Amino acid sequence: MAHLNQQTLLVFATIIFASAVFLHLTRKNTSAVRLYMVQSSAIAALLILSSFDRFSPLLIVAIVATVAVKIFIAPYFFYGLIRRHQLKFSVNTYLNTPVSLMVIAALLVLTRSDFFSALAVLATSGDKMLRLAFATVLISLFLAINRKGALSQMIGILSLENGIVAFALFAGLEQSPGLQLGITFNILIWVIIATVFASMIFRKFGSLDVTAMKKLKG
Amino acid sequence: MLAMFAAGAFGALLLQQNDRAANLWGNCLAIAGSGTGLIFSGAALLRGTIPVFVIDSSFPLLSLSLRFDQLSAFFMMIISLVALLCSVYALGSVRHYYGKYSIGVLGFFYNVFIVSMMLVVTAHNALFFLIVWEVMSLASYFLVIYERRETASIRAGSLYFIMMHAGTAFIIFAFLLMYRLTGSVEFEAIRGGIGAASPLMKNAIFISALIGFGVKAGIIPLHVWLPSAHPAAPSHISALMSGVMIKTGIYMMIRIYFDILSGAYLWWGLALLVIGAMSSLLGVLYALSEHDLKRLLAYHSIENIGIILLGLGSALVFSSFGLNTLAALGLAAALFHTMNHATFKALLFLGAGAVIAGTHTRNIEKYGGLIRLMPQTAFFFLVGSMAISALPPLNGFFSEWLTFQALFQGVLAFDVVTKIIFILSIGSLAFTGGLAAACFVKAFGITFLARPRSEQAAQASETAMLPRLAMAGLALLIVGLGVFSGMVLRTLATVAGSMANLQGAETADVAQFKSVSIQNGFAVTSMPAIFIGVIAAAVAVTVAVSLLTRKRKTATGPTWNCGSDLTPRMEITATGFSRSLITIARGVLRPSSETEIEYHDASSYFPRVGTVTTSLHDIYQTFIYKPLRDLTTIIAGQFTKVQSGNINAYILYIFLTLIGLLFFLDLQS
Repeated sequence: MAHLNQQTLLVFATIIFASAVFLHLTRKNTSAVRLYMVQSSAIAALLILSSFDRFSPLLIVAIVATVAVKIFIAPYFFYGLIRRHQLKFSVNTYLNTPVSLMVIAALLVLTRSDFFSALAVLATSGDKMLRLAFATVLISLFLAINRKGALSQMIGILSLENGIVAFALFAGLEQSPGLQLGITFNILIWVIIATVFASMIFRKFGSLDVTAMKKLKG
Repeated sequence: MLAMFAAGAFGALLLQQNDRAANLWGNCLAIAGSGTGLIFSGAALLRGTIPVFVIDSSFPLLSLSLRFDQLSAFFMMIISLVALLCSVYALGSVRHYYGKYSIGVLGFFYNVFIVSMMLVVTAHNALFFLIVWEVMSLASYFLVIYERRETASIRAGSLYFIMMHAGTAFIIFAFLLMYRLTGSVEFEAIRGGIGAASPLMKNAIFISALIGFGVKAGIIPLHVWLPSAHPAAPSHISALMSGVMIKTGIYMMIRIYFDILSGAYLWWGLALLVIGAMSSLLGVLYALSEHDLKRLLAYHSIENIGIILLGLGSALVFSSFGLNTLAALGLAAALFHTMNHATFKALLFLGAGAVIAGTHTRNIEKYGGLIRLMPQTAFFFLVGSMAISALPPLNGFFSEWLTFQALFQGVLAFDVVTKIIFILSIGSLAFTGGLAAACFVKAFGITFLARPRSEQAAQASETAMLPRLAMAGLALLIVGLGVFSGMVLRTLATVAGSMANLQGAETADVAQFKSVSIQNGFAVTSMPAIFIGVIAAAVAVTVAVSLLTRKRKTATGPTWNCGSDLTPRMEITATGFSRSLITIARGVLRPSSETEIEYHDASSYFPRVGTVTTSLHDIYQTFIYKPLRDLTTIIAGQFTKVQSGNINAYILYIFLTLIGLLFFLDLQS
């Protein structure tokens, strides 16, 4: 990734980061899925750019699989879930929007601070992208913490995974295409199981709000 | 060799629909693999070459590093030898599982178990070692619970599983300390870099390794899994677990204390002596009180591990004083007893398996008179019993004699405190030997002599040809290792001298075929002479008796029993036999006795049946494991407070941990 245009990389890093922030703002589940598709498209673009550095047929297969799983298959399952159970909105959060934005700002400050310098040394060319990717990780985790709806939490986890992939790419920690293929397959299985479970939970409790599922507690 | 075991394991699984084919395939491949291992290790041991195989992996620090030095080759030879004969035994003995349990699954785990033990004693990379160690523990766990419909097997397996993983935690800690000190997980590199470690770190490694490998070896008080797990497995597995698997713990103690850690401290040796004395004495006392034949043998494993530790402890003490010649003697004694115990314990477990298969019970109170129904099994069991009781001219005698000599040298050499510990160790070993003989008089007498005490015993029949062949092989080995002990000792002295801490040590013994002399004639024995003497005495007595009684007529008639019928109820029972000895040791064993009498009528004057049930108070459960369990429950109870059942809270924990780690990283940099 080192020789690629820094501006191009920054654009993709910003798209990934901004998608994570907008996931906090959106109230419609379909919008959340679309934002995830945008974020995943940026990740796929980064993978394609990285393939210019080290071309291999297996890497192309890994990229195709990533595009297929993250941009088509996962959203397909989520749309199915939304359509089947009429899950248009997911508005329940622990913190309201202004406070959530303050927390996001604090997390961003944290990643921009010296406190992050220990990890910034990993950056192969400039640490801006790396900091943005790590901010995406933290903000996505915060999404999963703040939202009560299971679908938002699932998207939060997938956004977190995108953040980790972006972090690895900007830190020059690209793994072998075989491993990437394995991770993508893992995500596919996870999405299928998670949506099936979410469906079963909805049938049982009539809601995907995790606070309503008292009987699931041990 | 690895390919043979792999083929044996997966082939048996594939053939699991056909029990007979799975049995043949699994065990034949195990025989082939063990045979190859035997040839390979024997060649490495005798030629003194050190084959090394290293395959690098893409995982950091991990390499598939195998090294056949003298010590590894010695242990691999024992594993191969016992596994070979156990596999021959299994070919004929597992038939009684046909249709009940999957023979394919048994064959799979059996092959994995053997190969993992071989890899454990040849691994020279700590990470690779931990992987194969874990594979060995898991394979043996699945073999312990093989009879899965038996509640006792499942309970024994669970206890074994927990204890093994508690032990593994200590082993990992020991290796982490070594890694921190040397920056490597390769044994060679650790050996080279650990010399400058502080005494505190060395002591921490010693203690962690002692606990971790002590659990596997079954030293008291870490032995609680052993008496239940060994009997639960099929008999040829019990033979392997008791005869060989627990020795992998001993192997790693030798590897770490004599080869990796340089500069032993005196207290290490004294600690091993005390633990060895306790384990040997208590092991045999518990064995005396047992009525379950396989549990009785399992307790004798604890006793024999104690004897091995006496040899190791004395070697460590000598090593701490720089007396490497004597240290090599103590280590050779420990190695010799390791090998001997593997042979006679395997034979005894296989013999017990044949008895159990014939009578369908493990309770020795229900045996009796089996010598007439299973004469060959009885003979082989007798050979094993004599060997474990250290009777000459069998191998058990020689290794215990050698251990005595090592301990005697300790009494001669050191200060008062050390002398006292050595004297107590000698006393413990002597007492253990006597009690072991008494225990096997009980085990053999109650099982094979007199008349059958149950319907099952009366209907027993001799076991199949292949199991007898395997037992015969082990019996021959026992006699051979006894008679040729001088030659064997020469090889073992070379193994002991190859340890990094003892290298260049001249042996304290002069071992020849005819005789073995310790410390310039301090003690001398000749096993061939004893063997010839015993044979000559037996022949002389036989001839004398036949000469003296040749004119006497033999009259056969009913035994006079004061006018009443002679029944098996009039024979001495195992409980009755051991009761007096248990009473002597009641301070340690804490026995309890329950007497139940049924009367003919309400007057309570005419007893019909009287029953005495004796049991031992489990002091380890009461004073060690129950308090530990209670403490764990209390701590776990505190942790349930963070288990809110809310997924948001759980993700928050992850989030806070991540932030905390970043802070830590920042502080570090």
